[in-house]
Amino acid sequence: MSDDSLAWLGTAPIPAAPYHDPAWFELEREAVFRRAWLQIGHVCELPDSGSFIRREIEALNVSLLIVRGRDGEIRAFHNVCTHRGTQLVEEESGRRGTFSCPYHRWSFGTDGALLAAPDFDRFFVDKADCALPRVALDICGGLIFVHLGTPDKGLRDDLGPYATMLDGFPAAQATTFSEYVYEIDANWKLTYDNFQENYHLRFIHPRSGAPAVGEDNPFGYPVKMGFHGPHRTQTIWTNPDPAPQPVQAQSFGRAARFAMADGTAGPHSRDYLALFPNFFILGSPAQPFSHTVWPIDARRSRGVIRLYWKGEDDCASRRYAREYAMASARDIHAEDRDVIEAGQRGLNSGALKHIHFQAQEALCRHLFTAVDERVQAYRADLAGTAPRPVSRAEAMA
Amino acid sequence: MTTLLPTGFDALAPFADRWAIDGSIARAARRGDAAPADRTAFFAAAAPLLDAALAHLDRYPIDALPPAEQRLMDMMLTLAHVSLTEEILGDQEPAHARQRQHMHITRTPAGA
Ligand code: FES
Ligand SMILES: [Fe+2]
Repeated sequence: MSDDSLAWLGTAPIPAAPYHDPAWFELEREAVFRRAWLQIGHVCELPDSGSFIRREIEALNVSLLIVRGRDGEIRAFHNVCTHRGTQLVEEESGRRGTFSCPYHRWSFGTDGALLAAPDFDRFFVDKADCALPRVALDICGGLIFVHLGTPDKGLRDDLGPYATMLDGFPAAQATTFSEYVYEIDANWKLTYDNFQENYHLRFIHPRSGAPAVGEDNPFGYPVKMGFHGPHRTQTIWTNPDPAPQPVQAQSFGRAARFAMADGTAGPHSRDYLALFPNFFILGSPAQPFSHTVWPIDARRSRGVIRLYWKGEDDCASRRYAREYAMASARDIHAEDRDVIEAGQRGLNSGALKHIHFQAQEALCRHLFTAVDERVQAYRADLAGTAPRPVSRAEAMA
Repeated sequence: MTTLLPTGFDALAPFADRWAIDGSIARAARRGDAAPADRTAFFAAAAPLLDAALAHLDRYPIDALPPAEQRLMDMMLTLAHVSLTEEILGDQEPAHARQRQHMHITRTPAGA
């Protein structure tokens, strides 16, 4: 892709502080994470009425309870009892007809309504006003997204053309998945950026990534990039002369045959979506993974990687192909972690005022630009509407 | 006495107790913990039998494999992990194993 077509993104050095500064991260919590659709799960995790998952969003100190109601609809609530705030659900997932608070046994329905509360006559409130606080939730391509603020656009509107792409990705048809999770001492953007540039492939993945680079494209740069609002996409280049090893060839060959038979090998098998702020997904049918990078604090994150599959394992070959695909993707992801942490240690020293992105790191530049716009807008909001500081005496009163 | 492995897979018998492993987490861990010579010997014995093993196993219902078939299945699933060391990583394995331990498998269709 020509460097000129990216001119609109600019070429200036990027300030380094947003990649390590706790004060900047405090702004991002609200400016970015409370003002965006966040990918949080998949419909296959909620197969039945009463199926639920609990999800923590540490950047916002939020615990969510996501439930499929009796009516089949999936809803998200704050995992917080409306009596006095106790977290309602401790398990990570399960299935229940009602949710009963461990403290004083208020109980809620799968639609969030307060159903019953012991000795409720002595309260000074109506049951109807005690439903679990609802959180905006929407679904695209089988993926569940939540919005912890007030969305100014519906999810599909926000995703624009990428909504249709998501519908065509293998995850849209998934009924199960493999998952692995890592923690990393690195800022979420630094971590995320690693996975949206190919500049490092030949150095960090010389063997595991060999099929992704070739003589005519030594860095394995993508064929195409695209942008829509704060979201972006790229199309992966494929080495015309891969030299797979025997077991590797047999394993991926099986996975590809299953994908063809299942109809999950769609038109986007080489496309990749990077949805703002922290979600990636790859359309590859043999290794169809998604990757969410959750900030924990300014310098610590958690990555959740999933390989989505259609149908249960119905034979030995399919079970084998999935195990291989997971193990092989995990190997490649494992190789990135150390070098990202090394980058973070360098940035934490404060030695750099700026970092640099080349033309082929345009997706990284685009993420920074989208974050920066939101942080600046949020700062302006704060400056315009800053409340009068509350004195200590008033606060204690 | 039940047969250890299905007919035609006797070459894998000496490896059965160490490499027929239940669960993706345990399989990944064994790959990293194994003595290099043991791992290489298992790979050399198992890799040429992968196609034949899966063809044989595909004739059975996946969730009701007879004990000998289950053992063979578990060995092939361990082979999936081991092959990545033997075919792809080579001498990068020791450094790689330290990096891999941070990637915690939480769920797989085969059972984490
Ligand atoms: S806090 Fe939940 S019932 Fe009292
Ligand atoms: Fe990488």
